[in-house]
Amino acid sequence: MEFLKKLFVDPFVEMVSYPDFLMQVLWEGLVSGVLYSLIALGFVLIFRSSRIFNFAQGIMVVFAALTLVGFHAMGIPAWVSVIFTLGVMALLAITIERVVLRPLVGQPDIILFMATIGITLFLIGGGELIFGGETKRMITSDLGIPTGSVDFEPFGGLLILQHLDITSVAAAVVLVTGLLIFLNKTRMGRAIRALGDDHQAALSVGISLRTVWVLVWFIAGVIALMTGIFWGARAGVSFALEVIAYKALPVLMLGGLESITGAIVGGLAIGLLEKLFEIYWGQPLLGGGTETWFAFVLALIVLLFRPQGLFGEKIIERV
Amino acid sequence: MKKLTSFAAAAVMAITAGAASAEGLSTPNLSYRTGPFAATGIPLMNGQRDYMLMLNARDGGIGGVPVDFSECETGYSTEKGVECYEATKGDAIVTQPWSTGITLQVLPKTNVDEIPILAPGYGFSPMADGSVFNWAFNMPGSYWDAASMILNEISGNDLSTLSGQKIAFLHLDHPFGKEPLPFLENMAEEHGFELLPIPVGLKEMQNQSAQWLQIRRERPDYVVMWGWGAMNAGALTEAVKTRYPMDQFLGVWWSGHDGDMEALGEAGTGYRSISYSAPQPDAQVMADIREYVFDKGDSLATESELDWVFYQRGLVISAMLAEGIKTAQDHFGEGEITASQLRWGLENINLTDERLAEMGMTGMVAPFSTSCSNHTGHAGGWMLQWNGSEWEVASDHLMPDSEAIRPLEVAAAAEYAEANAPWPIADCE
Amino acid sequence: MFYNTAGQFKTSYTKDQSLFPVKQDAILLGVVLLCAWIIFPMTASEFTFKTMLMPVLCYSLAALGLNVLTGFAGQLSLGTAAFMGVGAFACYKLITIFPEMNIIVAILLSGVFSSAVGVAFGLPSLRIKGFYLAIATLAAQFFLVWLFEKWHWLSNHNPSGAIEVPNIDMFGITVAGPNAAPVTQYYLILAIVTLITIVTINLTRGNQGRIWKATRDMDIAAELIGINLLKSKLTAFAVSSYIVGVAGALFVFLNLGAAEPNFFDIPLSFKILFIAIIGGLGSVMGNFMGAILIVALPVVIKFLPDAIGLEINPATVEHLNIMTVGALIIFFLIIEPHGLARLWQLIREKLIIWPFPH
Repeated sequence: MEFLKKLFVDPFVEMVSYPDFLMQVLWEGLVSGVLYSLIALGFVLIFRSSRIFNFAQGIMVVFAALTLVGFHAMGIPAWVSVIFTLGVMALLAITIERVVLRPLVGQPDIILFMATIGITLFLIGGGELIFGGETKRMITSDLGIPTGSVDFEPFGGLLILQHLDITSVAAAVVLVTGLLIFLNKTRMGRAIRALGDDHQAALSVGISLRTVWVLVWFIAGVIALMTGIFWGARAGVSFALEVIAYKALPVLMLGGLESITGAIVGGLAIGLLEKLFEIYWGQPLLGGGTETWFAFVLALIVLLFRPQGLFGEKIIERV
Repeated sequence: MKKLTSFAAAAVMAITAGAASAEGLSTPNLSYRTGPFAATGIPLMNGQRDYMLMLNARDGGIGGVPVDFSECETGYSTEKGVECYEATKGDAIVTQPWSTGITLQVLPKTNVDEIPILAPGYGFSPMADGSVFNWAFNMPGSYWDAASMILNEISGNDLSTLSGQKIAFLHLDHPFGKEPLPFLENMAEEHGFELLPIPVGLKEMQNQSAQWLQIRRERPDYVVMWGWGAMNAGALTEAVKTRYPMDQFLGVWWSGHDGDMEALGEAGTGYRSISYSAPQPDAQVMADIREYVFDKGDSLATESELDWVFYQRGLVISAMLAEGIKTAQDHFGEGEITASQLRWGLENINLTDERLAEMGMTGMVAPFSTSCSNHTGHAGGWMLQWNGSEWEVASDHLMPDSEAIRPLEVAAAAEYAEANAPWPIADCE
Repeated sequence: MFYNTAGQFKTSYTKDQSLFPVKQDAILLGVVLLCAWIIFPMTASEFTFKTMLMPVLCYSLAALGLNVLTGFAGQLSLGTAAFMGVGAFACYKLITIFPEMNIIVAILLSGVFSSAVGVAFGLPSLRIKGFYLAIATLAAQFFLVWLFEKWHWLSNHNPSGAIEVPNIDMFGITVAGPNAAPVTQYYLILAIVTLITIVTINLTRGNQGRIWKATRDMDIAAELIGINLLKSKLTAFAVSSYIVGVAGALFVFLNLGAAEPNFFDIPLSFKILFIAIIGGLGSVMGNFMGAILIVALPVVIKFLPDAIGLEINPATVEHLNIMTVGALIIFFLIIEPHGLARLWQLIREKLIIWPFPH
């Protein structure tokens, strides 16, 4: 009985008695959720257009952030560094397409997946060789990102919103909206979506596979840079950042590997739910640290009922 | 396949041959300059390396014998740690495992291989009991010492004042972070304060918002941190965000990295870290390091790094090893000492104030001495406080509560010996 | 050239279906076994034993386990390391609860536990396929490692949370723990690995292997010819996790000597997946070749500069090492996506018909 009470009653009692704390929890969840969505979006774009499960997304975040900080350390103004970094990411996209993807075209999915892990290792080694292993400081203020915080006092409590977090949410919303417009309204964007729907039909109407591949990898690079800036501003830029790639995987399971909506909704849902679970159930009952697996287990349960994910396309199998 | 194996075999032969040809006192360091913990590792490794290079350049080594200080990269991975241990143990007179995980792994083997293991301020706290841990040394202080000194500092040397208070123990979920738990639990029970362990997983180091929400909910009177690598910066940023009072936030000696604090700047003012070493930028040894190593461009460190707490702690670590070597050389009357002779040396260190002054390291570490039954030395330390731009010593010399720690050490050591039977136990009387 | 098959006639179907239809294959295997059983143990140093021979064998075994699941039954798994962990922790509990138990029995028994856990986490495979399943196995990976951390009973309440292997005797010889001689441990590992490999080869060549392959190649077709997919997939999970669990127990008990929960985290899973894929999915021999490449080669690279007297910063070597492994993975995937085993097969075929090109 005591256990059931702890499981079903106490958490909700606490939520109601400290609404300001609940709001803080939800806000923190939302901020992480936005970042998960962003990374998941990078995965989805690449998966849709090339069937590649791009494991290198995590290291691309680190690599982009390090490049940005590295350029700035050479005395280049912050915003020019951003442009240079985008150039480097474009170069990386072209190199990956030319050296790794093109020879592997048409191989089984798992081989391509492995190749991206190879890219990950290569970038880890190369990145540490070039930039060194020290934690770098993200050039937050040089980029004009505010660092203070605003306080609210809902229900007589305290809710602290960091300017940084607000900016990151706003920037993510802008980036996602921009991407959606790009994908839906422009020629290239439509080409990407067409390739996602049917490879051969897209090729037959003259869409260039190579251009699209380079483009989606570049978009993934842009997303990586953005994630790197905001995540790096929180805790410094180091190779430990790489692990956030794992956080995007359950989002993909939940939302579906091919769905852009799924990535956005799934990311937000997982960000919120895992934080709520950790604070109200994980820490009091399970000794904490549940965030590492909660999202996976949640996604697993959803998948048992909807094997293609919440928004994934239903695959009709023919014999 | 055969080609590969024969290539491997040839390479291995080359390795063993290569290792044997090295000259001088081989003191390998199982360093980590890569991986998620590299940021905090690098300045320490640089300090250790530069001190030995300085001795070689200034005095031609120790007692006239050059020191062969080599590094083997582990990346904080226990598997690679074992590789490095096996690769370097051939002619090594000491092994420096540099991670609690690797220490635990190597600890039982040193008995068989008869190589002293030097884990200054880390490793397994019960290593203090030299009768059980014959070959292991963790001077000048163990984690239990550190925990005890932190408790002494926040309670004003009277632990009973902590009664009824709540102390959150924010730690890395790794053997290192869990190490002080038995001591803290014991103290909590004895002195009636509430201990709230909050683990931070390796994957959560950069995003500790859940942990700090918990701290905000529980409102502990103090937060004690056992963090390392990227975890420190993550925790400090979150502490600022949740507006946890910095003067109630304290860390172990590995959680006081200048680089992390500089990123935080003013916001980190008031944060304290216990330390067994104190930076002395004007010490004679620093002048020597600059003259013989740094200015010649032999150092891997940067100019600003030289004043860092971690770099200078690296110097202290190598200095203690050098002192052990010198003690052994003086006692046995030979320059090229063996591993077991060094064991004797490390067990009979007597680092007095005079000796420290002679080494040009006054104030960098507290004087201490080791003995057969005391492999830790229990030198005590100082509380360093971040003033917004640098660390400053913010307390008198602190001592751990050895009376409370000793019985726990002996009990834990005995337990270890029993679990690993047959385990040789020396007679210290 | 060396593989001239002229004069080797098959006069019965049994001969035609034998394990080594070409005599040279048997000879080559004999040479490899001779090396493994006699020549290496006589020549290897402790360093070679501890860092190359034994890890290569343990990793090969783990990759073999994964290969049963991924290569033969077509179910992609990223949770291999966690199942190794289950094996290692189970073995630790068995040894500490029943100190009298023979270590080999304990190791072989510990696989049963990981097998059970594997079946439980294999259940989603009935509904989920491909990458979705791969991510689902990550749930096992993260959940189990978390459990190893939190459930202190597993490590007998060791404050550090790590398992440490005590000295274990078998027939008066110390086989595990710090006092054990590497040669003894090597032979034990080799014996168990050889045994399991032989059993697996037979399993995959027999009825069960065909059922798995049918499931892998087209599950709907397999179902139509009367294969019970539920049974087929779950047996694959069970057998695979058993082998992986035994590999984990072997690795920790006979080679490493201690392991903390984090050791069984995701990088280890990936390493094993590399071995299985670089070696060749659906091949038994490939696992060994893959393990040599992924496990032993980095060790060689790491200590090579020092051995030939090159003064390179060890950190730089490590960086180059990681890059090399990454580049090698991509390189081998490009030249032969089906792995080293297939590469060897192509070379062998070329040798058989040499000097003719076709």
